[in-house]
Amino acid sequence: MIELSHLTKVYGDIAVVNDVDMHVEAGTITVIVGTSGSGKSTLLRMVNRLVEPTEGRILVQGNDVSKMPAHELRRSIGYAIQNHGLFPHWTVARNIATVPMLLGWDRRKVAARVEELMELFQLDHAQFAGRYPHELSGGQQQRVGVARAMAAKPALLLMDEPFGALDPIIRGKAQADLKAIQRRTGTTILLVTHDMDEAIHLGDRIAVMDGGNLKQYAPAADILARPADAFVDDLIGAVDRPFHYLTLGSVGAAVEPGEAGGAPLAADASLYEGLGALLWSGRKAAPVVDAAGTPLGRVTLDSIADRAARPR
Amino acid sequence: MTTLSDAATDRAATPRVDRLGVVIAILVVVALALPFATFRATRIASGTGLRLFDALPAGTAAAVAAVLVAALVTAVASRRPTFRLALGALALAALALGAGAAGAHLTPADNPYARIAPASGFWVGVFAAAMLVTDAMVRLKLGPVGRLVALAVTAALVVALLASGAWSHLSLIAEYRNRADVFWREAGTHLVLAAGSLAAAVVIGLPLGVLAYRLRKLRDPLINVLNIIQTIPSMALFGILIAPLGWIAANVPGAHAIGIRGIGMAPAFLALFLYSLLPMVANTVVGLNGVSRAVVDAARGMGLTDRQRLIQVEMPLALPVILTGIRIVLVQNIGLATVAALIGGGGFGVFLFQGLGQTATDLILLGALPPVALAFAAAVVLDAVIEISGKGKA
Repeated sequence: MIELSHLTKVYGDIAVVNDVDMHVEAGTITVIVGTSGSGKSTLLRMVNRLVEPTEGRILVQGNDVSKMPAHELRRSIGYAIQNHGLFPHWTVARNIATVPMLLGWDRRKVAARVEELMELFQLDHAQFAGRYPHELSGGQQQRVGVARAMAAKPALLLMDEPFGALDPIIRGKAQADLKAIQRRTGTTILLVTHDMDEAIHLGDRIAVMDGGNLKQYAPAADILARPADAFVDDLIGAVDRPFHYLTLGSVGAAVEPGEAGGAPLAADASLYEGLGALLWSGRKAAPVVDAAGTPLGRVTLDSIADRAARPR
Repeated sequence: MTTLSDAATDRAATPRVDRLGVVIAILVVVALALPFATFRATRIASGTGLRLFDALPAGTAAAVAAVLVAALVTAVASRRPTFRLALGALALAALALGAGAAGAHLTPADNPYARIAPASGFWVGVFAAAMLVTDAMVRLKLGPVGRLVALAVTAALVVALLASGAWSHLSLIAEYRNRADVFWREAGTHLVLAAGSLAAAVVIGLPLGVLAYRLRKLRDPLINVLNIIQTIPSMALFGILIAPLGWIAANVPGAHAIGIRGIGMAPAFLALFLYSLLPMVANTVVGLNGVSRAVVDAARGMGLTDRQRLIQVEMPLALPVILTGIRIVLVQNIGLATVAALIGGGGFGVFLFQGLGQTATDLILLGALPPVALAFAAAVVLDAVIEISGKGKA
């Protein structure tokens, strides 16, 4: 989907992005994580040419982006940012319709798409379509921002700290919703964040950046198990690492035959959630059921603990 | 149980003195003590001041005085804005009709040259009543439409007063009657100068402002030059413009034919235009700069072209600030256009400066009051428009 080669951006004497090569698979979520000033936003903004690279090449779906007029390229790529950037003088519906209108869709098609998206993002059309952004809560504004970015059904969606302005509870829900919507639509997402939790939770693959360099680019499990260097190690946090690791596996994967008492766990719950449930209820084991409620066996504290250990 | 609730009742029972009301009350007392009307044997003779009861028949004087005292009491004792508004308006009406009645009462049948004018007591009274009215309007928290309606009603009442002939014996109207044709011609000139230079400043200043916003390097030099122009006193600017405009009139074919001269309307128009540029350009830049970075970034990222971004996003969001610039320019130009008369540019200043030359106070007022009223009306209208344009944007 995206192919970055030798991508470099120099401001003055400083290489903000330094010779980055990266391949992003279609239909996946790739998260670029790093501290502020790591060059992660600059990297993202070069993909839709909000920043022009000093050197290197970007291919999106096989096309060199520098060969396309910038505004046409941007209309074909979704773009969502921190603080949503909604147009304050336009209603929610008009905001969501921005790119379809630019592309000259006919009115009825635009209206239908807006309605469809508002439903997808759980915004009641009758209630919210005519409202202005400042009349919405932070979480609603953020959802409108993402809905707007996806309005013209772009194959690629760029997100720059899209959840940065949300409080932790709403952020968790927004992340889960985004993941569910992405699985449904198959949109390729390239997302920038400074939050390693968010990266592990959302990313099929994670790119760690520091000082303009791509330090490691791998699936979340690999980053946790084999951090490329001390910086990546630091970013994960030694204490949190086993727990991060547990968020990646599901209870279903740790099921063993046998019986246990108490409330059952869902097979698709994460091991992290399973561990929490066992610790809090003071049990050593719990029954596991699938979505239909059929018993599958049990999961034990020991089997979860095994999966929190560094893989060898 | 003495307690909080008792204390609260106590506080509510003690009437708090309205400070503005006290000021208004003092002004009303002063107004009643000062002469209400001036009698002069001719339009430039020195006048005799007459108190309310000397200027009006006893009954009329008592009625005017009663209304003023009622307004005084309301100002101090009542906190209800509608009450205060009603009494203020009533006091204004009593003063206006009283002044007209004084004109009729004092004009001797055998002396058409005698002039009766409202005197200091009248003006102080008007000031006090106007304060009561405007304060009540502020407390009523009228929306933009409400304020426009209030302005229209006020204007209609003033027109009705002037058209009714109630003031026909007053010197101000006598001065107007002697110059009715010239008055409306100069009124037209005044409006062309003020509104025309504003229009020119919008046409030139808006694009300049956009340019200065887009080109960082141009911004400071441009604003600095306009700042310097703004500091030149108007008389000096007229003087500076005489030479180049005179040269253009003499040397550029056709320039003279379209009215370009070293003196007259051309330099006045040009000077007003130059003064207007700074508020226009500066407010355009500030307005555009005030559009949130996230919004601009989103607009670019969505694929709006520079022009689409400017027209669909930046301009609408900067509009309230740009309109504020237009308001500043219009009010400023309505006032400044008065000075144009000094270089033969016409406008209400013609009467003002004639009046100054002849020490004819009424003529000065004839030149001064219309621009004041126009500037006030322009400010109210544009404030309302600005508020309406800012709706829905947080």
